[in-house]
Amino acid sequence: MNRELISKAVGNIDDRFIAEAYRPVPEDASRSPERIVQMKPKRLFTLALAAAVILSLGIAAYAVWSIHTARQQELRSDLKIDENNAESYVEYQVPDTASEGVVLLSAVNDGEEERIYVNVSPVSEEELAGFPGLLHFFCTIDGTEYGGFAAPALPADLSLAGEVGIHTAVLEYAYDRDSSTLTLQCYLMTDMLEKAVEELGTESVPLSIFVAKGEEEPRCFGTIPFSPTEKQLRSFDFNHARYVDPELGKEIEILGLELTPFTAVWKVTYPEAAVFHTPEADWDAYRDYAFLEDEVCVQSQILFSNGTSFSTGGALTCPYEDGAVHLHCGWGSAINIDEVQQIVLGDLVLWEKTE
Amino acid sequence: MTHLEDSKIISLFYERSEQAIVELNQKYGAAVKRTAANILKNRLDAEECANDTYLGVWNTIPPQNPNPLVSYVCKIARNIAINRYHANHAEKRNSNYDLVLDELEECIPSGFDLESELEAKELTEAINRFLATLEKEDRFLFVRRYWYADSVSDLSAMTGSSANRVSVRLFRLREKLRNTLKKEGLLV
Repeated sequence: MNRELISKAVGNIDDRFIAEAYRPVPEDASRSPERIVQMKPKRLFTLALAAAVILSLGIAAYAVWSIHTARQQELRSDLKIDENNAESYVEYQVPDTASEGVVLLSAVNDGEEERIYVNVSPVSEEELAGFPGLLHFFCTIDGTEYGGFAAPALPADLSLAGEVGIHTAVLEYAYDRDSSTLTLQCYLMTDMLEKAVEELGTESVPLSIFVAKGEEEPRCFGTIPFSPTEKQLRSFDFNHARYVDPELGKEIEILGLELTPFTAVWKVTYPEAAVFHTPEADWDAYRDYAFLEDEVCVQSQILFSNGTSFSTGGALTCPYEDGAVHLHCGWGSAINIDEVQQIVLGDLVLWEKTE
Repeated sequence: MTHLEDSKIISLFYERSEQAIVELNQKYGAAVKRTAANILKNRLDAEECANDTYLGVWNTIPPQNPNPLVSYVCKIARNIAINRYHANHAEKRNSNYDLVLDELEECIPSGFDLESELEAKELTEAINRFLATLEKEDRFLFVRRYWYADSVSDLSAMTGSSANRVSVRLFRLREKLRNTLKKEGLLV
């Protein structure tokens, strides 16, 4: 095999694909007009908010009140909560006085994980220089062996390149220099959270947020009580719809879809699906069905009443449970699951709203 | 800082103004260096590659009038970087680009007898057809990994997915490509 010629063959792909995948790298990104345009609304919003707060609460309270409330507003907007009626999103009362530690901003149960947004402080800019790479954030439920990871909360549709790009974005979007506050998104698996509630016998769990630098002892920002939130789920039954890929000559049965504003679980089955979803599976035999599974997730279109459509994208995990392959897909900003009009895969109508 | 439109940069090249290089470097310099550095993993080589790229662009525009300019420039950078890579790595295999080539070899195994430029061209066309069938996100991952030679960790950062998820996705894309090549009769 001639590696040089393979390299050449790939190197000569169509220019439009190369241009499409082009992303400005950090030193470009910090100067690009697109980025300036992106930053402007946020800056304007912060300034408008600052003016309103200074008038109503006085300058002393501004620094802390604004960062918690401003972050809540930014998250709400970024996650498209209002426009898509994501009722499962919960926003909490935030303090109006300066305080170090952890402030719970909001949370949403996406069906598999509880996404919990918090402000933590103090975090110095020098300390934050170790992120990403040296610095790690995580959360634990005190009194249990359960926990999850955390990361600075960045806009859902932000494209980043490399560690410098990530660090720059964290300073821009998740860090507030004036109050040394960092906004984090914590992830806790919902089944772990349920187990923790059961083990502790309380409605809320003590959630501690930590930062660890390399091998150093982790530092705890503080502990907050957190109660699991309700998930917003809509189930679609496809009445054992069958999809055939004419080229592969294979058929897949699409049983249903469980949709939340942030995740989807497609349920499909086909001969030997159980066997293929074991560690010992024969990839060559499974391959065609893997393509079919992808087609279901990627090619299916969810059509909404406002005329827009949405693809759940490829599955991130695909366990075999309860007699079906569960294709788990996820995305950043909410969709409006109440406004689904039709779900189609090519010419096959899987589900349609009836009056 | 705002950048000149591509057409204006090209006009500067046509006027043989050295400002063309300055503007090109300001707009796409980082992308050129990154493309080269992904392949060479050596900052000095990448810098030299960028300079060679600008010379290449200077020597070819005019008569060329490329659109999009970014693909044209990055393509020259990639070719120069790969030539340098082959010169530097005649005996050793240790760069990120080796991993990229390993993955491609796994996907285009010995059934595809790449003996000639003609067959390489045939493979290019098949990959173009394959890319056209992909969802935008998948196409982005494929092109960034196998054309721009980005590392999985960089792709993880760009897409907001875990490195593991990116690897799984790339694995599936390679399998899809392999299947496409088989279906088209290019793989035995």
